[in-house]
Amino acid sequence: MADIAFLLIIFFMITINFEVDKTQVYLPKTEIRLEIPKKAAYISILENGQIRVSSGEEISVPVAGPEDVLSFAASVVATNPHKAFVLKADKSVPYRFVDRVIDALKQAKADVIYLLSDQETVDTTATGG
Amino acid sequence: MRFKRGTVNEEIPTASMADIAFLLIVYFMVTTTFAATRGLDFSLPQDEDTPLIDKEESVLIEIQPGGVLMVDNRAMQLSEVLDYLKPKLERNPMKPVIIRPDETAEYGYMVDVFDELRQAKDKIGIEVKNVSIPTQREIQMFWY
Repeated sequence: MADIAFLLIIFFMITINFEVDKTQVYLPKTEIRLEIPKKAAYISILENGQIRVSSGEEISVPVAGPEDVLSFAASVVATNPHKAFVLKADKSVPYRFVDRVIDALKQAKADVIYLLSDQETVDTTATGG
Repeated sequence: MRFKRGTVNEEIPTASMADIAFLLIVYFMVTTTFAATRGLDFSLPQDEDTPLIDKEESVLIEIQPGGVLMVDNRAMQLSEVLDYLKPKLERNPMKPVIIRPDETAEYGYMVDVFDELRQAKDKIGIEVKNVSIPTQREIQMFWY
């Protein structure tokens, strides 16, 4: 009994992934999904355009606007030039918010951006596509 | 009167071990979040001298609000885009494809188009190598 219990404990200890950003967004669905490196920096954009950032070490904090994303990203890149950035944006957010964040990341010389997404379920009965 | 001699229990009491273990299991189960940890990657150019993409040579995919796609000024369904690109990519595998979403278009449509282009290898057998999503600032700086 205790053996099984410890086995389960070890499983959960290994798989545990402390979520740095707990905002609820409706992610876009994609068929191509690559594994995001651990401890990546998170930038989340809510449906109303509110932006939250996290360097991957601590819980995300809200920022006033895309200008603050630039200073945040620059400081992250300064400590680790190959840090991955994860863009967790709501699928219904107007593109201009995303545009400004991506622009800030480009200016900060970010190495790679991951667009966080959910798995698209492939409908085999659908025609075309 | 006989006194009972106190005997020392030599074993470590393990009766509560399972209780502690289950407590820990429950803790990890509650705190574990199977968070979405996958997504589309999109590498950014690092060099200062990024090659400028000529607007005329490239395929321009505009995304209008509501998800209407205009590929080289022709309205198109998402499923038709790769078939349109195929002959162009066969001629020039490095054909630049520019995704340009409208300011008010929803982000989800841009991801749909990007995902479709990334699936080109599976669907039409040719990879779309040269996809760029210029930002508004870059468009203003380099194109006008």
